[in-house]
Amino acid sequence: MTALVVVLGLVVAVLALLVVGLLRSHAEILKRLHDLGAGVEPGQPTSQPASPTATPVTSREDFQVMPQVPSPPDREAFGGAADLVGVGAGGADALSVRIIGVEHDTIVAFLSSGCITCQKFWDAFAKPRKLKLPSGTRIVVVTKGPEAESASSVASLAPASFPTVMSTQAFTDYDVPGSPYFVYVHGPSGRVRGEGTGPDWEQVSSLLAQATVDAGLATALSGRQVAKPDADAAREERIDRELFEAGVAPGDPSLFSVTPPDGADATDADRHDHDGHHPHG
Amino acid sequence: MKLQAHGIETELPAGWEGRIALRTQPTAATRSIGDPAERTNPIVHLANFALPEQRGDFGSGAVDLMSEPHVLVVLFEYGPECANTALFSRQGMPKKLTPTMFSGAALQRTLPGQAGCQIFFTEGNRAFCLYTVLGGQSAATRVLPQANATLAGTRILAR
Repeated sequence: MTALVVVLGLVVAVLALLVVGLLRSHAEILKRLHDLGAGVEPGQPTSQPASPTATPVTSREDFQVMPQVPSPPDREAFGGAADLVGVGAGGADALSVRIIGVEHDTIVAFLSSGCITCQKFWDAFAKPRKLKLPSGTRIVVVTKGPEAESASSVASLAPASFPTVMSTQAFTDYDVPGSPYFVYVHGPSGRVRGEGTGPDWEQVSSLLAQATVDAGLATALSGRQVAKPDADAAREERIDRELFEAGVAPGDPSLFSVTPPDGADATDADRHDHDGHHPHG
Repeated sequence: MKLQAHGIETELPAGWEGRIALRTQPTAATRSIGDPAERTNPIVHLANFALPEQRGDFGSGAVDLMSEPHVLVVLFEYGPECANTALFSRQGMPKKLTPTMFSGAALQRTLPGQAGCQIFFTEGNRAFCLYTVLGGQSAATRVLPQANATLAGTRILAR
């Protein structure tokens, strides 16, 4: 009888230890989840800094990154943005892109052709309609220059819908710690609204949304462009091809002749010696 | 901001962006019009607004986005056999455009309020067309000084 009581006491003690251990582990998990913002109801106080105010954000504390993702580099204040100039994807062409003093905002995406994480962003940028960019925002992709990057690789990765600038100087101007890295610039003022990185576009766009007052991601920048119906585009292509086969190439002067008023002589613009077919460049 | 490529260089004034590139090789994939065997020549697009990536040689796709204060400058190079021919007999790139040079009828695609100007010339033994589009003809006096400053800062190097 005594032995039975002792055994039962030992079992209870062991079970009690197990329960205490489980409770501690559970508390640790809840604390980690709370730190990540899970299960926080709107209006409830949290341990995170206050939500961004309704003015362009410049404090690095307002730009939150996941705990395992490197934070923006330590700086007294976010550095200002800069216009971009460099060579195009492929390394042969030249281009410049305005970032400051423009109506639209810009997400400058610093990528490389060789990093595995960057590949997710290259793939995402190939489908611009799925990016759900904030309204009035354009993406510009920046890689290092041809002296540090494979121009042919960048050319094969460069998205058709966004400019791609190869410029090592841009990495210096923006004080980029590595790729992938993203800087969100307020166009009219040139101020950096937020910067950081993430494992994929969904995470980065979520973090960028937190850094601005735009709750929810609205229409894409492509919505500003005139969306040409497919039938019109096909018709234009057919007309261009028929004109070309008839000897009228794009830019042919006959396409631009100014019709004189009734009774007036032909203008100089119509007197040019048109040989019928000017091979275009 | 200086751009230099394909024997053309330009010093862009503040507020402008530009592209100096070779014309897209016409293939079934690119849908560009032309002879697939042609040797492509440079095209320059300079603008005081954000240039979309999807653009035609003479600015289609970009002109759709233009409003009154905007101007687009296109330099389109033709083949070497065109240099100094009758159409391209004018020597030297024009550097001073005036409002009277522009017309709503001189547009590749007529868009309300816009006006265009097209001038053919030879410089450095290279044949070019300078095609300039104003987002609003009524703003010509205001925006042409910017365009002329851009042209003044552009050089075509001889072949």
